[in-house]
Amino acid sequence: MSVVNSGTRPSLSPGQRPGSPRKRQRGPRLDITLAGQSKLAPYLFSAPAIVTVSLLLAYPVLYGLYNSLFRAPSLGAPEEFVGLENYSDMFADPAFWHALVRSAVFVFGCLILGLILGLFFAFALNRVIRQLRFLRAITIAPYIISNVAAAVMFRLVFNSDFGLLNRTIEFFGFDGPGWLSNGTLAMVVVIFCQVWTDLPLTILLLLAGLQTIDTSYLDAARVDGATGWKRAWHLSIPLISPQIVISTVWLSYSTLTGLGVVLALTGGGPLKATQTLPMEMYSTAFTDLEMNEALAIASFILILNALLTLVYVTVARRYGTVE
Amino acid sequence: MATNTRHNTRATDTRVARDGASGPPDRRIGGLAASPLGRGVRRVLLWIPLIILVLWTVMPFLITMSISLKARGEVFADPGLLPDSPRLDAYREVIARPGFRGAFLNSVLVGFGTAALTIAISVPAAYAFARFGFRGRHLLLLFTLLPRLVPSLGLMIPLYQIAVTAGMLDKRLTLVIVYSGMLVPLAVWLLVGFIQQIPRELEEAANVDGASMFKRIRYIVLPLALPALITIGVLAFREAWNEFTLVLVLTTTPGKRTLPYELYLMQGIQGIQNYPAEAAFTILTIVPFILIYTRIEKYIVAGITTGSVK
Repeated sequence: MSVVNSGTRPSLSPGQRPGSPRKRQRGPRLDITLAGQSKLAPYLFSAPAIVTVSLLLAYPVLYGLYNSLFRAPSLGAPEEFVGLENYSDMFADPAFWHALVRSAVFVFGCLILGLILGLFFAFALNRVIRQLRFLRAITIAPYIISNVAAAVMFRLVFNSDFGLLNRTIEFFGFDGPGWLSNGTLAMVVVIFCQVWTDLPLTILLLLAGLQTIDTSYLDAARVDGATGWKRAWHLSIPLISPQIVISTVWLSYSTLTGLGVVLALTGGGPLKATQTLPMEMYSTAFTDLEMNEALAIASFILILNALLTLVYVTVARRYGTVE
Repeated sequence: MATNTRHNTRATDTRVARDGASGPPDRRIGGLAASPLGRGVRRVLLWIPLIILVLWTVMPFLITMSISLKARGEVFADPGLLPDSPRLDAYREVIARPGFRGAFLNSVLVGFGTAALTIAISVPAAYAFARFGFRGRHLLLLFTLLPRLVPSLGLMIPLYQIAVTAGMLDKRLTLVIVYSGMLVPLAVWLLVGFIQQIPRELEEAANVDGASMFKRIRYIVLPLALPALITIGVLAFREAWNEFTLVLVLTTTPGKRTLPYELYLMQGIQGIQNYPAEAAFTILTIVPFILIYTRIEKYIVAGITTGSVK
């Protein structure tokens, strides 16, 4: 998910890309032709990475899933196996359903806003040639700052006493609302802030798609008299649908599992109006100190995330946009 | 996803080169608008979305910077974007705080630590995956890359509990290790691709001259992979510098926090909000990385374009 990657896609066969002349050079691989190498070397070399990744990424997830099946009968008592009881309790908890609905609003809002703005800006950038590098550098800015910094900045922008937004509204003779004290508006602010931080990558993904479109298609459409909007809608957007799917998957992943922006901007408030699932998980774990129940919520989020990804890809495949 | 963005960068650059030579942009876009007036209107229409894009991106920064240059009372009295008499009081106040200085130092230490450890772990692995054909290679590579899909949200509570059990809570080293772990899949992915592009004839020639594998890695692979190493270093540093939710649960004492955590606390600690200080703190956490990033970005581009890897 980086902006400045310098590698290319690693192929699964070592150093031999199809079509390269080296492919014909069968047989001796480097480890056989070169001296001083044992059969063990590649395993030793890759061991630190594999161990790190297993211990820090794979193991914790399995640990979380496993421990969500346990519960301490009272604080400090040893944990007992309770099967899916944490999950059934979770589903019986109105707070969970509230958080699920809030998350749905949040994810859906971010997807709509993020994709519309992403497409709009990607199309705009696609027509620029000379200033592109400069504009791209600016576009990336929100991507390289922390969620907390973004949240603080948005609190300043949307501050109801002195925020520039409300002063502008007042200038036109209206009363600016208390953005962060009204539940609905707080959700709007959180969505805007999350989209602001996630948009750079969306724009770059979509722009990459637009730039691979063969201009002869567009020229042909222009000769046939298709207007700019028609070309965009009937040609460009269908042609970049793989990138749109990737952007959707990524935005959905980032917003469904995103905690930093919400926590730093509203902390779930006002009156739990922005209490999304990750917030619910966080407060269950670190305010209520019910770790195992929080693990059940976390597992639910991870499973939901995987299912959503599956749905997007399946839908995209059905409509023949992603092979 | 990393690769897609990567392709984007390259595709864009070649396009700049190609189209830049073929004439001014408006000629291509305004091909149908024959009259000068039509061309002018089209040019304005082209720039409106871009101006919106720049405003959308830059306004929060500008507003924050503006507030950071005001006095506390002035924030309410004078809401304009340009302060009457810009002052650096808020910056002085923030820098004088031990909380800020400690967190800044921690962020720098954890950032460089993460960059170093990520590179140290991923270089040998990437070399093995790129240069050796060994049994289980596909499976192990997949096993290294796949965990990248795990959202860090899913790691929060388990890593906290593991850290408590292992007595690793509230240590800078823990942060370094955790962030490195999160970066390793991406780093290996980037490096494998990069090392595969380095002609193996170079290494074969060096081998004929009697260079050992470590010498070949040290004197051939690493120098040629430098752009990838810098990229990985920057990404690792960025992760450590910006990450918030894990440092939130993995540190407990003030002395171990990094900047995002300290900034987060700053919103709640004061009874009366000190907005200029908050804004100044935000700017101070953003600026160092933007400085690093813009410098390094040039370096990366230069490293690729000077053609040390062809």
